[in-house]
Amino acid sequence: MQLRHSFTELRQGLRRNVSMHIAVVLTLFVSLTLVGFGALLNQQAAAAADQWGSELQITVYLCRDGDDNPSCDAEVTEPQKQAVQDVVEDSPEVDTWYLESKEEAFEKVKDLYGDERFEGPDAALTADDMAESIWITLEDPNEYQGITSQVVGLPGVAGVQDLREVVGPILSTIDRIKIASWAIAGFLVLAALLLVANTIRLAALARRKEIGIMRLVGASTLYIALPFLMEALVTAFLGVALAAGALAALVKYGIIDDLSSELEFIPWIGWPEYGVAVAVIGILGPVLTVLPTLLLTRKYIKV
Amino acid sequence: MIRFEKVTKTYPGPGRPALDNVSIDIEKGEFVFLVGASGSGKSTALRLVLRESRPTSGRVHVAGKEVNRLAGWKVPRLRRQIGTVFQDFRLLSNKTVSENVAFALQVIGRPKDEIRDVVPRTLELVGLQDKGDRLPDELSGGEQQRVAIARAFVNRPMILIADEPTGNLDPTTSAGIMNLLDRINATGTTVLMATHDNSVVDQMQKRVIELDHGRVTRDEATGSYGSEVV
Ligand SMILES: Nc1ncnc2c1ncn2[C@@H]1O[C@H](COP(=O)(O)OP(=O)(O)O)[C@@H](O)[C@H]1O
Ligand SMILES: [Mg+2]
Repeated sequence: MQLRHSFTELRQGLRRNVSMHIAVVLTLFVSLTLVGFGALLNQQAAAAADQWGSELQITVYLCRDGDDNPSCDAEVTEPQKQAVQDVVEDSPEVDTWYLESKEEAFEKVKDLYGDERFEGPDAALTADDMAESIWITLEDPNEYQGITSQVVGLPGVAGVQDLREVVGPILSTIDRIKIASWAIAGFLVLAALLLVANTIRLAALARRKEIGIMRLVGASTLYIALPFLMEALVTAFLGVALAAGALAALVKYGIIDDLSSELEFIPWIGWPEYGVAVAVIGILGPVLTVLPTLLLTRKYIKV
Repeated sequence: MIRFEKVTKTYPGPGRPALDNVSIDIEKGEFVFLVGASGSGKSTALRLVLRESRPTSGRVHVAGKEVNRLAGWKVPRLRRQIGTVFQDFRLLSNKTVSENVAFALQVIGRPKDEIRDVVPRTLELVGLQDKGDRLPDELSGGEQQRVAIARAFVNRPMILIADEPTGNLDPTTSAGIMNLLDRINATGTTVLMATHDNSVVDQMQKRVIELDHGRVTRDEATGSYGSEVV
């Protein structure tokens, strides 16, 4: 097998059909970027659902002194607090629960915003400004209506926060974007396949006479097909590289530098998930170009 | 070396078979003309030898192998043992004479040293030692056919197949080409040549197999183009 000839052919082949190859590379680039974007979203949704779905918690906020919530007229009393805890304890929907004190709530706030603002005489908040709360982990994340309605009306309860009302729409939006990007990617993949097929057809036509002679003098099918396969691999490589670059920029500037510092309550994806997405397009890209090449060279170069 | 056993070849579509129950046996080192009117099935027979197509029924043996039962990946190896020449030369116009001949060796992976050594010697054999750097378009028809023969012979095949090699050439040039094929035959290469050029056949006095509408109507050890009835 003389690789020199294959490389010469590869160079000539790429040059002969520059515009066609650019079209293939760009189509691959965009479609693979969308596929990779879909893969990222898929993992983002999984990560979010992982955190919020299985350990989904309901938080019952108890009234504090001077609470402006209409269901409160004064700070929750000990018997009221006990009554709420009894209801939670007896509910079949509740798996585990705990009471969070004002001090614990205050610690959380300090962790989130930094200690300095909460110290000394001009502190923005003190532990007394915080509300006590009951954190409930559900037996089954889908069964929450019973406990919610039981607790909401009780005296001393300011309100019930259900993360699902916040998270649900985010999850379904992610899902819709993912489906949309995969649908668009599907059409582009089809376009890429047709472009690849056309490129090979033109290349085979341009080299028809040469291929005829090679067959006649007994060149192996692999030898004849090799320049085509190498062209396919080069275009796939370029498409994958461009898409990987675009996705890297998205992950770095979109997620790591931007979203994950702005919206900390969501578990954002990062480089490991990017690696998975690149693996997906790294396999898909060559398959998209090599597979039609193998099929078509069999057709055009058949022995 | 080449044996047809009751070979019938029918192309798709209506009409009679291109080859009809043809049996031929050609020994190693023979020079055989395949003659007959246009459409009598000569090219079809040659394509079966090259395994460019397969018989509808019957068997084709080449160099001890039944070619229609050869696995696809073994076909290139078969073709390396067969040199082929056509009426239309089939040279690559962007390559020089030398490069055209070398191409046949390059694409089957022969080492460079060997190519550098063998190509000039083969050009000398066909009388083109001074024209190695020319492009095919700068050569006469007869010279182009010599290049094609050099390319077919450069790998020292056991069999040389020629389909109307003199079809585009004038009688004098044709005689030169026939002389060259005769010399190649003298090296032990079996030559099978399809033609309907009667003067060429008459002049050579070699074995003649005549086809008529796909059937063998004559097989003479030393014959002329026309049968007894002229
Ligand atoms: N690829 C083909 N498809 C259909 N018919 C063909 C094909 N090749 C040859 N034929 C038919 O087979 C017959 C023999 O053709 P061919 O072998 O080319 O004859 P020759 O070489 O003696 O002129 C002709 O009738 C021709 O029309
Ligand atoms: Mg013919």
